Amino acid sequence: MKQFGTIFKFELKNYLKNKIFAGVTVFLVAVIAVVMFFPSIMDAINGDEAQSEDGKEIEAVEITGIMLLGTNGVENGEEIRQSFGEAFLEYEVLLSEDDPDVIKEKVTSGEAECAFVLNSPTSYTYYVNNLSMYDMNTEIADELLKTMYGQNAMVNGGMSPEEARDILAVQIEHETESLGKDQMQNFFYTYIMIFALYMVILLYGQMVATNVATEKSSRAMELLITSAKPVSMMFGKVIASCLAGFIQILVVFGSAILFYNLNQSSWEGNMIIASIFDMPPELLVYMLVFFVLGFLIYAFMFGAIGSMASKLEDINTSVMPVTLLFIAGFIVVMMSMSSGDVDSLLMRICSYVPFTSPMAMFTRIAMSTVPLYEVAVSIIILIGTVIAIGVAAAKIYRVGVLLYGTTPKIGSIIKAMRKA
Amino acid sequence: MKLELKNIHKSFGDKQVLKGISFSAESGKAFGLLGRNGAGKTTTIRILMDVFGANDGEIFIDGSHIDYTKIKTGYLPEERGLYPKKKIIDQLIYFAELNGMKRQEAVKSIDYWLERLGMAEYRGKRLDTLSKGNQQKIQLVTALAHNPDIVILDEPFSGLDPVNAMILKDVVKEEIANGKIVLFSSHQMNYIEEFCDSIAILNSGKIVLQGDIYKIKHNYVRDKLVVRSEDADAIRNALGSCCVKTDEKELLIRLTSAEEKQKMMKQLTEAYDIDEIKVFEPSLNDIFVEYAKEQY
Repeated sequence: MKQFGTIFKFELKNYLKNKIFAGVTVFLVAVIAVVMFFPSIMDAINGDEAQSEDGKEIEAVEITGIMLLGTNGVENGEEIRQSFGEAFLEYEVLLSEDDPDVIKEKVTSGEAECAFVLNSPTSYTYYVNNLSMYDMNTEIADELLKTMYGQNAMVNGGMSPEEARDILAVQIEHETESLGKDQMQNFFYTYIMIFALYMVILLYGQMVATNVATEKSSRAMELLITSAKPVSMMFGKVIASCLAGFIQILVVFGSAILFYNLNQSSWEGNMIIASIFDMPPELLVYMLVFFVLGFLIYAFMFGAIGSMASKLEDINTSVMPVTLLFIAGFIVVMMSMSSGDVDSLLMRICSYVPFTSPMAMFTRIAMSTVPLYEVAVSIIILIGTVIAIGVAAAKIYRVGVLLYGTTPKIGSIIKAMRKA
Repeated sequence: MKLELKNIHKSFGDKQVLKGISFSAESGKAFGLLGRNGAGKTTTIRILMDVFGANDGEIFIDGSHIDYTKIKTGYLPEERGLYPKKKIIDQLIYFAELNGMKRQEAVKSIDYWLERLGMAEYRGKRLDTLSKGNQQKIQLVTALAHNPDIVILDEPFSGLDPVNAMILKDVVKEEIANGKIVLFSSHQMNYIEEFCDSIAILNSGKIVLQGDIYKIKHNYVRDKLVVRSEDADAIRNALGSCCVKTDEKELLIRLTSAEEKQKMMKQLTEAYDIDEIKVFEPSLNDIFVEYAKEQY
């Protein structure tokens, strides 16, 4: 136990003194600081220029180009141009009587940015040089023409233009009350937490493997095994890296929460940011539980693999199966998160399989309503597996650290474990 | 204090590495564990240091089973290596603490040893900034700093320059004089002859020869003669195949039995011009080659 403490302290100090560890942490905190202070900084720079009396920013859209509207003989061209002008604030909308070919030519040459050529009141051709992925112009035009068509029809049917406009402009009011969890709200923080879980486990797991393999290849192991028990070595390393990862998460998340609170007023209008920081505190407890258990499972496996490698170069290929297993779990969770169906059969299975449950069960708890007993079963399975894998890893480690030369086959590893 | 290994057996898988090793070593004396590569020396050392257990056999200290919470061992492995990127003092403290020392006494002892080995100036440096010989001296500190009862030195002199070898010799003699049990493993027989009172030669997991070096040498069958003569060629022609030329004017004559030697000496000195004639006494090197050569 004393040896474990010595090893744990030594390993933890290695992490905290590591320049890359400190660098990444400082960098992340700096990025979060810039993001969180961004609105306040912008406000300070812009002063009150962009502020109107009620404190809301005025939308001052700059005109970026010319949009041509070829009427092609369709009536009420001017009326259409006007409503287009109101809808497309970033364009100067010009009416054109030219032939479609001439209009096309103008778009190609860059004289106009884009052009709508009407064939009838309900059909048109949209000309644009390079169609951007985010080009919403046709959707806006569709909506405009539809409204105008409807309005004309109503007027022709005997209504006054005002009445018609009011009917078409009617707004439906609605309210949603989520009785379980609101995925709109919890999507972002779940996403961030799963991603943090993924990054930390993968990063630190690989570090554990590299760490062990380095001790082996530098032959420091020759002395270590005669000075300390392999079990203390393994557990000291893994738990130190777990704590280092946890400290990093704590610093990064903690500073994010701190910076958010300092700038809370500037973020009031932003739904996404507000939803992220509005996460329930019990979720943080779950995050902690699943982080620690998930971390241990993978770190033990990575440590055992590291002990079997005789060269540092071998590490990348030997950790591949474990890494792939982990990534597969991550992808399943991410896919179901974006589909919104976090309680699918696959996710239910994944939330009991110990290699995927830290992410899958956490996602389900965060984004859906999971009965408490299911959570408990999942955590119990996870704890059991952590213990089993820890014991197995320590056995592999004991044998592995003394093996040099060819990487042993799985069969001989199992044999060695039985003997150990 | 007396260390005894009794009938140690060890197998890895189907491979039997140790087939009943027994030897004993006493404090205040150095014991040489010899053997070719792969003979089982490292396995024996690891069992002695409790890295893994033996399949059979026992280890005793003064007649009772060894208690690793009380008996401390210090080890200089043949494959040297510490943490290249870490500060020397940090890793030395780490190893001393792992071996059961408290931080403060560890620092004190390490500083003593660094001073003793002339390494004090490197205290705060990274290990990989040191030359190979100096790294080896640092490694020696890890073996000695925690004041072990049993010191195991595996090829301690390889890679050291003559001056450093001198320092190490003094240190080893000091440790022996301080009543430590010193276990030596080396292929450099001159060092073994210099330090060790008794040896054991391992071959394929068995001890093929052990005992006091002087006695081993003396008990060696005295059935060979070394002859130095101007007439070396003539003698060789006369004696035939039992006579081997070892140098321009030197011969080694193998006799049919040890009793023959007196008669042969007389014969030769009467018949030829002999510069020197003596009974052949093997060096430790010769003994090692003879016993370690054949695989049993």
